[in-house]
Amino acid sequence: MPNQPAERTARTQRLIVVSLIGLALGFLVVIQLRSQAAVARTLAAQDDTSVALLINDLNKANNQLIQQSAALSQQEAQLRQALTAGGADSQAIEKELTTLRAVNGEIPVHGPGLQIGIQGSIMDFELEDALNSLRNAGAEAFSLNGYRIISNTPVASRGQNLLIGGRTVSAPLVLLVIGDPEQLQPAADLSASSLQTRVQVSIERKTDLAISGVISPRPLIYAQLGK
Amino acid sequence: MTVLASVSLATFLVTGLAATQFRSQPLPPSNRLARDEALRKSVNQLEDQNRALKAGVQTLQAGVKSGEEESARRSSAAQQVKAQLDDEKAIAGQAALHGPGITVLLHDGSDPNDPNDRSLGWTVHYQDMQDIVNLLWASGAEAVAVNGQRIVPTTAFHYAGVNILINNGSRLSAPYTVTAVGDPSSLANGLGNPDQLAELKSRSRIYGLGLSWVRSTRLSIPAYDATFLVKYAQPTG
Repeated sequence: MPNQPAERTARTQRLIVVSLIGLALGFLVVIQLRSQAAVARTLAAQDDTSVALLINDLNKANNQLIQQSAALSQQEAQLRQALTAGGADSQAIEKELTTLRAVNGEIPVHGPGLQIGIQGSIMDFELEDALNSLRNAGAEAFSLNGYRIISNTPVASRGQNLLIGGRTVSAPLVLLVIGDPEQLQPAADLSASSLQTRVQVSIERKTDLAISGVISPRPLIYAQLGK
Repeated sequence: MTVLASVSLATFLVTGLAATQFRSQPLPPSNRLARDEALRKSVNQLEDQNRALKAGVQTLQAGVKSGEEESARRSSAAQQVKAQLDDEKAIAGQAALHGPGITVLLHDGSDPNDPNDRSLGWTVHYQDMQDIVNLLWASGAEAVAVNGQRIVPTTAFHYAGVNILINNGSRLSAPYTVTAVGDPSSLANGLGNPDQLAELKSRSRIYGLGLSWVRSTRLSIPAYDATFLVKYAQPTG
């Protein structure tokens, strides 16, 4: 009989120990799983450099969208003001029309930018890369040897020459770019540095350069409006 | 005795697990995980903000559109300008289109895990996308979209580490789907021409990088989801 309390104590101790083991195990398993999941996410996500570049780009894009919102608010207010006064402001619509014509490359434009001279022939992909990085730097209009280029202008190599929207362009090349020269310069420098191993490249900043080449829009034959 | 056995077993297990835990911990002293987590959080927040801003832009665009429509109903001058504006919007990609065409599918291949091959040739690069889109324009495409993002006159592909961004911060991720409206035969002939996309096609063979296309009798191309800002290029005269 005197053994009974001792046995009970032993049983209680065992129970406590087992519970503690369970607790510790559970805790460790959870930590283990959580840290594994975190590692998996890190891998599934990306290296710090990629993420940092992404943050930089998203910041820039969001600022752009804020500016777009401000411009749209202003446009809407202008339209509403005329409508409230009982009329209609066709100038507000005209302004948007002009912007789109400039974007579509249908009207001559002028403004600050860069004049890039290339003393030799380059390949289609080299031009594409340069145009792409200049667009990323905010380029608003391009012309190459007088031919206007927008993003859907096909660029192709034909021997030593380039075909810009089907028209032959040969060296020396003069690429005019309108945009903020401060922003464009680093992009132009980068493109130049990869070309300069073969051809001579000059970059000049201009306070006002004129792009007179225009594009006539391609007629839509297969595409129809609507989803 | 049993208590002792339990305790021993517990200690053994706990120590063993703790050891595993420490070994598997990838944390160098700089606490890399916490830093990564913070960076990723920033990306998530910025992408949420990006989506909200785009939704805001679309609401404002709808407001402007209704203002323009009402103006056109009131004045014939406004009506004329509005008709021209609609044409320009369609050209600039601010209207959804549909028609016959082609769908190009692209996905990463498999990493050869070869220390002598650090070319990353098995992944799809932004230049590949640029080349495909350029080839589609050259083959007569009338409208093109990549992963549902319309290619507009100002579109640029931006390379941010392993990410490709286009049109105001839209992140493209693999697999990539490039859709183009146009004559399906001439688009397919352009893509099938062995002189075109030669480097991409050879990487497709070497690394199993996916490159295929299918013709369609009808496909839809969405409208550009934002607006255009022109700050420097002023109309001449």
